[in-house]
Amino acid sequence: MARNKFDVDEKLEGEFNFGHLKRLLKYLKPHVKTVILTLFAILSSSALNLLSPMITSYAIDYKIPQKDLAGIIFLGLGLFLIYLYNAFTVRYRITSMSKMGQSVVERLREDLFVHLQTLPFSYYDSRPHGKILVRVINYVNALSDLLSNGIINLISDIFNVAVIFAFMLYIDLRLTGIVVVGGVIFTIAVFSLKDKQRRAWQLHSAKQSNLNAYIHESITGIKVTQSFTREWENQKIFEKQSQLVKDSFMKGKIIDICIWPLIETVSTLTTAVVFLVGAHWIFTGSITVGKVIAFTGYVSMFWNPIMNISNFYNSINNAMAYLERIYETMDIQPTVRDVEGAVEMPPIKGDVEFSHVYFSYDEGKPVLEDVSFKVKSGETVALVGPTGAGKTTIINIISRFYDIDRGKVLIDGQDIKYVTLNSLRKQMGVMLQDTFIFSGTIMDNIRYGKLDATDEEVIEAAKAVCAHDFIMTLENGYYTQVNERGSRLSAGQRQLISFARALLADPKILILDEATSSIDTQTEIALQKGLNRLLQGRTTFVIAHRLSTIKNADKIMFVDNKNIQEAGNHEELMAKRGHYYKLYTAQYNLSAV
Amino acid sequence: MKSLKWLWQYISPYKRRLFLALGLTLTNAILSNIRPYITGLIVDGVFRGGNFDILIPLVLAFIATIVFKDIFRICDHYMLEDTSQIVIMNIRRDLYSSMQQQDFTYFDKNRTGDIMTKMSADVEGIRHFVAWVINSAFESAVLFISALLIMGYINRKLTLCLFLVTPVIGIIAFRQTKSVHPVFHNIRQSLSRLNTVVQENISGNRVVKAFTRESYEIEKFKAANLEYKNANIEGSKVWRKYVPLLDSMANSLNVIILIAGGILTIRGDMTVGELVTFNSLSWALNTPMRNVGWLINDSLRTITSLEKVKEMVEERPKIYTKEEYITKDRIKGKVEFRNVSFSYGDTLVLDNISFTANCGESVAIIGATGSGKSTLISLISRFYDVTEGEILIDDINIKEYNLKKLRQNISMAMQDVFLFSDTIEGNISYGVPDASFNDVEEVAKAADAHDFIVEMTEGYDTIVGERGVGLSGGQKQRIALARALLSDSPILILDDTTSSVDVETEHYIQQTLKQYAKNKTTFIIAHRISSVKDCDQILVLDKGRIVERGTHEELLAKGGYYKKIYDIQQGNLDKVTA
Repeated sequence: MARNKFDVDEKLEGEFNFGHLKRLLKYLKPHVKTVILTLFAILSSSALNLLSPMITSYAIDYKIPQKDLAGIIFLGLGLFLIYLYNAFTVRYRITSMSKMGQSVVERLREDLFVHLQTLPFSYYDSRPHGKILVRVINYVNALSDLLSNGIINLISDIFNVAVIFAFMLYIDLRLTGIVVVGGVIFTIAVFSLKDKQRRAWQLHSAKQSNLNAYIHESITGIKVTQSFTREWENQKIFEKQSQLVKDSFMKGKIIDICIWPLIETVSTLTTAVVFLVGAHWIFTGSITVGKVIAFTGYVSMFWNPIMNISNFYNSINNAMAYLERIYETMDIQPTVRDVEGAVEMPPIKGDVEFSHVYFSYDEGKPVLEDVSFKVKSGETVALVGPTGAGKTTIINIISRFYDIDRGKVLIDGQDIKYVTLNSLRKQMGVMLQDTFIFSGTIMDNIRYGKLDATDEEVIEAAKAVCAHDFIMTLENGYYTQVNERGSRLSAGQRQLISFARALLADPKILILDEATSSIDTQTEIALQKGLNRLLQGRTTFVIAHRLSTIKNADKIMFVDNKNIQEAGNHEELMAKRGHYYKLYTAQYNLSAV
Repeated sequence: MKSLKWLWQYISPYKRRLFLALGLTLTNAILSNIRPYITGLIVDGVFRGGNFDILIPLVLAFIATIVFKDIFRICDHYMLEDTSQIVIMNIRRDLYSSMQQQDFTYFDKNRTGDIMTKMSADVEGIRHFVAWVINSAFESAVLFISALLIMGYINRKLTLCLFLVTPVIGIIAFRQTKSVHPVFHNIRQSLSRLNTVVQENISGNRVVKAFTRESYEIEKFKAANLEYKNANIEGSKVWRKYVPLLDSMANSLNVIILIAGGILTIRGDMTVGELVTFNSLSWALNTPMRNVGWLINDSLRTITSLEKVKEMVEERPKIYTKEEYITKDRIKGKVEFRNVSFSYGDTLVLDNISFTANCGESVAIIGATGSGKSTLISLISRFYDVTEGEILIDDINIKEYNLKKLRQNISMAMQDVFLFSDTIEGNISYGVPDASFNDVEEVAKAADAHDFIVEMTEGYDTIVGERGVGLSGGQKQRIALARALLSDSPILILDDTTSSVDVETEHYIQQTLKQYAKNKTTFIIAHRISSVKDCDQILVLDKGRIVERGTHEELLAKGGYYKKIYDIQQGNLDKVTA
C-alpha cells in the first residue's frame, strides 16, 4: 500500500460491493432471535394500532347517537389498552435494538482492533495515524443505528408494502398495474442516482479522514508548530481541508435531499393517474365508486413505507463508504505471520545464526545480500557502520518483524520462520530509540515489560538502570502520572524508563537500538556498571555511536554495502587496520580534545 | 442555556437563511394539509357527487401543490444543511485555532484522544442539532399550536380537557432533561477514553510489538469498548423510560377525545361533526408530543457537546502576548537570564539561574539527565513562563514581545524529533513554507542529510511516516537540524541534536554550523565534550542549578563535574590507544 499523507485521498472502490453487506450480516446472526421478537412486537402493535381508528369511528357512528355512555367508556378503555400495549412494544424495541446495535458495533470494532494488532510496522509507518483512528472509532460508530433500528424498520416496511400491495391487488388489478408502473419508474430513478450518491459519500469519507489525520498530526506535532510559528499556515491548510469536507458533504447531501421529493412526485403522479383513470372507469361503469375510493386510500398508504425503504437505502449507501474502509483494513493480511504448523519456540538459550540471508524492503532493491554470522549465547554484539547500511534491518530480522527473501535465521539452531511469532518475540527484549510512554503512572509504564511484576520488581529494574533517583524526585514518585510522549520527562529520562521496561521483561535476547543516545555520560557510566551484571547470560545486540559502548562488546560487526564487512572484537579489528580501524581512529581523533 | 447562546453567535450571521428555511417549513406544513383536502374534494365531489367537470382542474391543483411543496422542501433542506455545515466549519476553525494557541502545559494535561473527540464527535452532534433538531422543534411547535388554536375555536371545553395533559408532559419532559444529562456525559467520557486507548495503541505500535503486548492491548481495548457500549445501553434506558411514557401521553389524547368528547356530545355541548373534526386533528397534537422525547434527547446531547467545545474554544492559554507589546521585527540576539526559577507543579526544576549570552555568542549547556537543560531553553521561546525572575532578550523582558515575533526570532531543533507525514522537503521547509528548493537542499547539505536523502527512491519527495518512523534516529535528527537551519533567525537552539549521529558526522555538522551560526546566538545542549568545547561559555547544570560555568579551559582548570566528564570520555579512549 502506497504511503499516504493527510491530503491524499484514500482510493475509492469502483463497484457497490454486496459482499460487504453479507459480511456485515454475519454480525447480526447471533441476534436473529431478538430481531424476530422485536419484529413480532412491532408488527402486532401496528396491527392493533390499525384498529384504533375503527374503534373511534364506531363510537362516533353508533355509540354517541345512542347516547350509550357506558359503551363509550368501554371503547375508550379498549383504546387505552391498545396504547398501553403500544407503549410496551416501544419500550421493548428501544431496549432490544440498542442492545443489539451496540453489541454489533462492539464486535465489529473489536475485530477491527484485534486485526490491527497483527499488522506490521509498515502499515503504521505508511499512513497518518489519524486515518487509522477514525476507522476504529468514527466509522464503526456511524454503523450502529443502521444495524439496529435500520434493519428492523426495513423488515417491517417491506412487510407493510406487501400487505398493502395485497389489498390493492384484491381491489383492482388494473389500477394496481398503474401503481406498479409508478414504482418501477421510481426504482429506476433511484438506482440511476445510486452510483453518484455512493461516490459522493465515498469522497466525503475520504475528505473526513484527511481532516482527521490533519487534526491528529497537528495535535501531536504542536511543539514543532509553535516553535516555528507555523500556526497561521496550518490554520489555512486546516480551513481548506475543512472546506473540502463541507463541499463533499453537500454533494452527497443534495442527492439525499432530492430522493424524498422524487418519491413524492412519482407518487403524486401515480395517484393523479389513478384518479383520472378511475373517474373514467366509473363513467364507463367498469368499476364501482367505493372501490376507487378505497383504492386511493391504499395508494397514499403505499408510498410511505416505500419512502422509508429508500431512506434506508440511502443510509446503506452512506454506510458503504465507511464499511469499505473498515473491511479494507480487515482484509490486509499481515506479511509476517505464523506458518502452518508453526511450533512454540522453546526457552531460548541465545545462540543466533544468520545463514546466507538476503533481504529487501522493495523488490529489486536488496538491503542485505548473503549475510552470514554466528553469535554465541551470552555474547554482546555491537553493530557499527554508516547510516542506512542495514544495522536496524538486521536486528528487525532477528525479532522477525520482517521475513527474509532467502537464507535462514536460526536461534538455538531453530529456524525462526517455523515458530510462532508470539512465542519468539516474548523471549526477546527490544528497546527502540523511539521511546513511547503510555498515559498512566511511571509504575505502569515500566510494568508494561512484565505485566505481573510486583512493585518491588519494578523499582529494582528502575534502580538497575539508574532511573530510581530521578523518579523519586517527582512529586508522586512511581505514581506520577505521565502522558503520551511523556511530555514532563526529558528524552534521557524516557530512555531510562524504556530501558527499565525492557529489562523487567527479562529477555534472553536483548536488542538495544541507540537506546542510550540521550543519556548523559555519568549516568551512562553508572548504567553500564549495572548493565554488565544484567547482561550476563543474555545475548545482546547493540547499535550505538558511543565508542565506549562499542569497544566493550564481545563482537563488533561492521555493516556496509549490504553485508558484514568485518567482525571480531575490538583488539582484533584494530589489529586488522580495516574499516573499523578507520572508523575508530577517525572518531577517536575527533573526540580527543 | 449559556451554551445555546454561545452557539447562536455562530448561527446568527446566517439567521436570515435559517428563518427563511423555517418559513418554508411552515409553508410546507400548510401545503401538506391541502393535499388531503383536494383528495377529499375529488372523492366527495367527483366520485360520490358525479361532478366530472371539476376533475381535471382538481387533479392539476393536486399535482401543482406537490410540485411546489417538493421544490420548497429541497430548498428548505438544502439551506438547513448548508447553514449547519458553515456553522460547524466555523466552530471547527475556532477549535483548531484555540488548540494551536494553547501552551505546553495544556498539552501536558489534555490527551490527544480527548481533543480529537471534541473536534470530531462533538462537532458532528452540533451539526445534527442545527440541521435537524431546530427545524423539527419549530415544525412540532407550529403543528401543536395551530391544532390547539383550531380546536379552541371549534370547542373550548374539549380543548381545555386536552390541555390537562400538557402539564403532565411538561413534568415528564423536565424529569427526562434532568436524568439524561449525566448519561450523555458518561457516553461522551467513555468515548473519549476509547479514543485515547486506540490512539495510543496506534502511536505506540512499535512498543506494543516489541513487547508482544498485543493481547494485553486487546484486553485494555475490550474494557474501554465494553464501557462505551454499556454507557450507550445505559443511555438507552433513559429513553426507554421516557419515550413510551410520552408516546402514551400523546395517544391518551385520543382516549380523552373519545370519552370527554362523547360525553360533551351526548350532553349536547358539541355536535358529532365537531367531534369528527377533533378526531381528525388529533394527529397534529399527537405527533409533536411524540417528538418531544427525541427532541429533548438530541438537544441535551448537543448541549453536552457544546459545553465541551465551548470550554475548549474559550480556553485561554496562560502564555500570550501582552496587550501592549513591543514590535521589533528582528532582534539582535542578546539573551539574559536574571535569577530565573521554574517549578513544574510543586517540583522545582530550575533554581535561580543567571547568565548572559551576548549577540553571536555560543552557550553550551551540559548536565545529567533531567537536570533541567531542555526546560531552560524552552523558557527562552516562552513555551513555559518562568516562575520567578526574568528572561531578557536585547535587554527587554521576553514577556513584552509579541509572542509570535519572539518565536520567529528563535529557531530550534528539539531533542524529541517530530516529523510530519509529509515529504522530506515539506518537513525541512516546515518553518519557511515558501523556501526555494535550492535553500532546502543547501541546509540539508549543511546538516549532512543531503546524501542519504538523495539515496532514497524518491529523494526529497519521499514521504516519511508520522513522527518520521522508518528513518533512523540519526537521520531524523539531521532533518530536524536542517529544518532549524532553514529559518534564519538570530537565536539558534540545538537541543541534543546530534546524539544519534556518529562522531564523524557530528564533526562535519559542527564545521558547517560554525559557518551558519557565525552571527547567531547559539545554545547547544550535548553530552559529548567534543560538541561543546569550542563554545564561548559552558554552563554545567545539576538539579536545576548552574554549578559550574566558564570556557572549556577554565572548567578543566576548575577540576569539577566538567573535568570528570572530560576524564571519563578521554580516559576511556586513552586506555584503548595505549
